[in-house]
Amino acid sequence: MWKPIKKTLDRFLEALVALAMAVLTIDVLWQVITRFILKNPSSWTEELATNMMIWVGLLGASVALKYQAHLGIDYFVNKLGEKKRLWTEVIAYLSISLFAVFVMILGGLHMVVITFRFGQLTPALGIPAGYVYLAVPVSGIFLAIYAIEFLIETLLKLKNYGTRQNAALIKNG
Amino acid sequence: MENMDLPLIVLVVSFLLLLMANIPIAFAIGISSLFTLYAIGGLPEWLTMAHQIATGIDSFALLAIPFFILAGQLMGQGGIARRLIDLANVPMGRFPGGLALVNIVTCMLFGAISGSAVAAVSSVGGFMIPLMNKEGYHRDFNAAVSITAATTGLLIPPSNVMIVYSLATGGIVSVAAIFMAGIIPGILVGLGLMVVAAIFSVRHKYGKGATFSFQEGVKRFFIAIPALLLIVIVLGGILSGFFTATEASAVAVIYAFLLSVFVYREVKLNHVPAIFLQAGITTAVVFLLIGTSMAMSYVLAHENIPQTISAALLGVSNNPIIILLIINLMLLFVGTFMDMTPAVLIFTPIFLPVIKTLGINPIHFGIIIITNLCIGICTPPVGSCLFVGCGIAKTTITDVLRYIMPFFLAMVIVLFIITYVPWLSLALPKALHLF
Repeated sequence: MWKPIKKTLDRFLEALVALAMAVLTIDVLWQVITRFILKNPSSWTEELATNMMIWVGLLGASVALKYQAHLGIDYFVNKLGEKKRLWTEVIAYLSISLFAVFVMILGGLHMVVITFRFGQLTPALGIPAGYVYLAVPVSGIFLAIYAIEFLIETLLKLKNYGTRQNAALIKNG
Repeated sequence: MENMDLPLIVLVVSFLLLLMANIPIAFAIGISSLFTLYAIGGLPEWLTMAHQIATGIDSFALLAIPFFILAGQLMGQGGIARRLIDLANVPMGRFPGGLALVNIVTCMLFGAISGSAVAAVSSVGGFMIPLMNKEGYHRDFNAAVSITAATTGLLIPPSNVMIVYSLATGGIVSVAAIFMAGIIPGILVGLGLMVVAAIFSVRHKYGKGATFSFQEGVKRFFIAIPALLLIVIVLGGILSGFFTATEASAVAVIYAFLLSVFVYREVKLNHVPAIFLQAGITTAVVFLLIGTSMAMSYVLAHENIPQTISAALLGVSNNPIIILLIINLMLLFVGTFMDMTPAVLIFTPIFLPVIKTLGINPIHFGIIIITNLCIGICTPPVGSCLFVGCGIAKTTITDVLRYIMPFFLAMVIVLFIITYVPWLSLALPKALHLF
């Protein structure tokens, strides 16, 4: 049940990030074209690009977590034994999950609500600024999903590790 | 005093602990900043963090970063690195250790085009290291050359980290000015590395590469022209006021796309979405770092850390030579465990007040901080360039360290020359009336 949903989600997010990169490029090129060829600089391209960039940057962060592309220092944990290393992974994914839930989802929603309440509009496009900042809680949700998935996987590995150890003990003992 | 110290202790201790536990750096920065907000008290912690992350990346100037990343990816897979190598071989191949020199020159050209050191290591190093291995150069020496040479691209424009620096100064330093300032220092670092590579090669009797007929040289030059033209378009466009840096970067993307798909024909159209996705992921990694680093910078500013450090430094001395020495040593230390983007975002606002008080030009300081951190990305325990380079050369950090030391020495010497001869950084921006 979960696997196919997850796979669709992966595909959807990846397609969205790739597409957004393409649209970003075209948007800024359009700005250059309108200025030099049409002599009538477009007023909304810059704003649209910046807003989309915020969405790409934050949504992409969850895809990056899935690919484990966020840089960390594995120098110290590699010196630990397998079991201890797995525990540091549990801590890492737990921290990321908590950060995603409290800062990005709850803090982000709070920020979005405030922005909507003030009725702030973006200068060129005239859309409520809350929609731009909505990127924070939305990507927080995806980050949390990926982090919790990794967390469960690591916990399962630890559990199996325990039984494997026991099995080995029984076999040898 | 006591109240002020606690949040700072919380920040430093929690950050180091999280880093050691292999928590991704962006999150380590975010979480330790969050803890610090709790230690300060009185602020809505979650909201403040979320707000800092969102507003931290809300800047049109930053848009140049995904574009240069994308252009770099397209060029990396588009056979542009190989054509630059072919070109660099013409003048440099004839010397002892020719391939090492070719590697360095190509990195300078490629880095100039792509603006990313990691892209240069993987594209140029990915091609040059196996080639050098085959010609009998020591594997770890080859890795050391590729890793350190790749950093020259961060000084030779366009360069993503320079855009980040411009942001960190709050726009006091324009992207165009810092771009121009990096050219001479970048070439100097490249020359320094070449000297080390040449000495090592002569000592180990590494052979000469090929020599080429004049006709062959001309031919290779013409083949590489479309790639080199990109530098002209980007820099020329920005300098003449034709494009902003962001627009120039978007033009670079479309140019790199046309070049690698239709001219050199090494990228197939159906591979393009995957390249876009990869660029999007790399962008997101950088942007999350920028967002959380801006939050940490905010926390530090809230605690008046820049003023405190400024006062402490000026208490030691008000001689610019000594202060710059202290700052350089601090940054060299920071660079060993912190990646470049967060280090620039966090430490620029900390040191900027001192720099201004002492009358040092912030453009010059930008070049100092970037050159310094270039060394940092090649040093363990955290060095993105070092990691990627070791991966490509199929060697380990420990093995490479012995060979990379002389290159570090050269970089440190050049760093001090750049630090104490401001003219090297300021001559070009001044001549072009950029400040």
